[in-house]
Amino acid sequence: MLQELQDKFYLNFIDDNRWAYLTNGLKTTLIVTLFAVLLGIAIGFLVAVVRSTCDKTGKLRILNALCKLYLTVIRGTPVVVQLLIIYFVIFGSVKIDKVFVAILAFGLNSGAYVAEIIRSGIMSIDNGQFEAGRSLGFNYVQTMTYIVLPQALKNVLPALGNEFIVLLKETSVAGYIIRSRTYDAFMPLIAVALIYLVMVLAFSKLLNLLERRLRNSER
Amino acid sequence: MNGKESLIRVEDLKKEFVGVHALNGVSVEIKRGEVVFVVGPSGSGKSTFLRCLNRLEDPTGGHIYFDGVDLMDGKININKHRQKMGMVFQHFNLFPHMTVLKNMTIAPMKLQGTGKEEAEQEAMKLLERVGLADRANAYPSQLSGGQKQRVAIVRALCMKPEVMLFDEPTSALDPEMVGEVLQVMGELAKENMTMVVVTHEMGFAREVAHRVLFMADGQILEEAPPQEFFGNPKNERLKAFLSKVI
Ligand SMILES: Nc1ncnc2c1ncn2[C@@H]1O[C@H](COP(=O)(O)OP(=O)(O)OP(=O)(O)O)[C@@H](O)[C@H]1O
Ligand SMILES: [Mg+2]
Repeated sequence: MLQELQDKFYLNFIDDNRWAYLTNGLKTTLIVTLFAVLLGIAIGFLVAVVRSTCDKTGKLRILNALCKLYLTVIRGTPVVVQLLIIYFVIFGSVKIDKVFVAILAFGLNSGAYVAEIIRSGIMSIDNGQFEAGRSLGFNYVQTMTYIVLPQALKNVLPALGNEFIVLLKETSVAGYIIRSRTYDAFMPLIAVALIYLVMVLAFSKLLNLLERRLRNSER
Repeated sequence: MNGKESLIRVEDLKKEFVGVHALNGVSVEIKRGEVVFVVGPSGSGKSTFLRCLNRLEDPTGGHIYFDGVDLMDGKININKHRQKMGMVFQHFNLFPHMTVLKNMTIAPMKLQGTGKEEAEQEAMKLLERVGLADRANAYPSQLSGGQKQRVAIVRALCMKPEVMLFDEPTSALDPEMVGEVLQVMGELAKENMTMVVVTHEMGFAREVAHRVLFMADGQILEEAPPQEFFGNPKNERLKAFLSKVI
């Protein structure tokens, strides 16, 4: 039994330097997650601002309609399908870096969820805050920047953190298009699970610290 | 209440929300240094009137001349004019993510290019006047209701406005905190600040107002100096209203 485990360990990680796949995979996952998160925040932020500006002022109607379409499509289809469509259909005929495709797909996907999280944060801020800003003479953009968004982002920080953890785990499906090597399932999968668990726990801990810091600044 | 110079002139102001006529042609003139109180039953359009003055609510008709400029003119930059019109809300609306001092200095610094030091000095002077200098670095959540409203008043004053608009500034306060806010407002009135005050505090109106307006169904049905307004009301609706609230 123990011997068997040892053999498997050897076969999966040591032999043929296979552990390198794991560390490379880890590196790829982190790169994909990091850039997808950044892309997701950028997209989500813009979409959320467009959506709530339209809700509040009735302006940007066309952009708002486009944003709604984007949200519906992205949130209504599985991320794996989106990934495969982008890789095999949109970029099917050109040679393109798989990591780039993964970043694009996960960024686009995450952006939709981030947008709705940030929008809910903006909506949760009492309209009196907005009016107080405007009454002092701030224009719409200034009121958003100095008064509404800082409070909104702080309120949705836990939800955003959660979204990033989801994203971090989801990027593992990028492995479908990136590689599959040994046919033994047990060892690599357990190892991968452990690695993700550690990363998620570490990230949650960081997030907790950040939240506490922010809350302290108000009391 | 010296000069006769008109600061705000409202002509036939109308505001319709979908299906609701909140303002049905309001005309009124407010002079520099004048303290005008607006009273009336709930839903009569008092808040709408006040909020139309700085176009926080967009009127559907009429004109508002502020310092000679028609605020209904589409070409003006309303943000510029709002800087000169301080507003105090029923629910304070302090910025909870900023200290008292930051609440007060952010607008002068960002909008009027005032330096940090100067803005803070000015803010501290005002805080001292309302007895809150020791709370400068507190966050709004650490203040009592009365303190919050006093901060909200001095926050508006930091912009050196030409008129202060108050919408039921004491209605959200516990009774024991009403006095401290009214005191600050009374002092402002003595310093010749032009004020438009919506309130249910009839005693305060009688004491401080130069002129009282009675509003009902989106119209001004009577306007008079306080002695006459409260002592010898003419309009039947006003008589009925006063008999209920006093
Ligand atoms: N945003 C809005 N949308 C639709 N109707 C509104 C809106 N704001 C006010 N109204 C309506 O306009 C009318 C006047 O309201 P307003 O708030 O000006 O009254 P008020 O005199 O300030 O009353 P209160 O003493 O209760 O504050 C009311 O019938 C109210 O329902
Ligand atoms: Mg009101």
